[in-house]
Amino acid sequence: MQSDYCSRRSLQVVNLACALHLFAEYVGRPSLMAGPSMLPTLADSGEIVVEDRLTYRLNPGSVARGDLITLRSPIDPSRIICKRVLGLPGDIICVDPTGEKAPSTEHVVIPKGHIWISGDNAAFSRDSRDYGPVSMALIQAKLLARVRKLFLLSYP
Amino acid sequence: MFNHFWTWKNPLYWLPTGFVLSHYFYNVNVISGRSMQPTLNPDTSSSRDVAIFHRHALFTRDAYQRDDIITLRSPEDPRRTLIKRIIALEGDVVRTLPPYPARDVRVPIGHIWVEGDEPFYSDDSNIFGPVPMALVESKLVCIIWPLHRFGRVSKAELPLSRNGPSFRRAMAQFDRERARESRVTKV
Repeated sequence: MQSDYCSRRSLQVVNLACALHLFAEYVGRPSLMAGPSMLPTLADSGEIVVEDRLTYRLNPGSVARGDLITLRSPIDPSRIICKRVLGLPGDIICVDPTGEKAPSTEHVVIPKGHIWISGDNAAFSRDSRDYGPVSMALIQAKLLARVRKLFLLSYP
Repeated sequence: MFNHFWTWKNPLYWLPTGFVLSHYFYNVNVISGRSMQPTLNPDTSSSRDVAIFHRHALFTRDAYQRDDIITLRSPEDPRRTLIKRIIALEGDVVRTLPPYPARDVRVPIGHIWVEGDEPFYSDDSNIFGPVPMALVESKLVCIIWPLHRFGRVSKAELPLSRNGPSFRRAMAQFDRERARESRVTKV
């Protein structure tokens, strides 16, 4: 009788973990950011943001120019990156106005179902200037908010 | 009422576990469309194929192999899911088919080249180019319906008799496999 109760309890814990995972995967979750590509909007370490996954999942057309999004990296499937949306399908984009990664006269038309992404810190960002327009199917979430650093979480 | 609903005796209570198991391990799907003919949904079949897909296979090592049949989110429309065959992996050079502007393409890092088995009816990499690996969702394990084609999708095997429809089908499959391989320069 006792072992029966224990096994049922542990299954319930597993079930709860699954439910929490599904919530994080489909609705939203806090996540920790790292890397210099979004400076000065987001700090390069210890930055916590809230991802909103539900809005994009329900309405893929809700992505607008200027939004901050997280997406799976097109060059490394295991990484998730955070960038800003610059161009939507059909837009004509200047690849790199500074002329560093491409001649500043080069323009591209963004194909159907793709977007142009860019980091706010152009000097330290690998984005559409390197790998071109990315598919909208790679988008995971829109950034909803950043969590104000609590004194416990702020690093020296 | 509320307390009675959320007890472990209610099957709905275990929905999260079931959903996670099917999402990360095996799930069953009906295949629609003719882009994978004659491997899937052949003209001789009156109903659509039902197959088991494995998702966890993508988290293992050597997840992506040439000739694997996979499902992926369409790079042109995030709402659609496609079923295609992996033709080439990152670094390979592929000789493309007509709609594609360039004759040869080197598949970039993190990307794969996917095609349907029936090029005439297939919207594949020859239309939208190499696709990021991150779009791949699951791998085909085996067909479960119709019953006479139950089992894994295997490479062509020569039947014992040297004539009849099964022999001709096997030879046609050989030809397709050879044509597929001849277009890829592996690295």
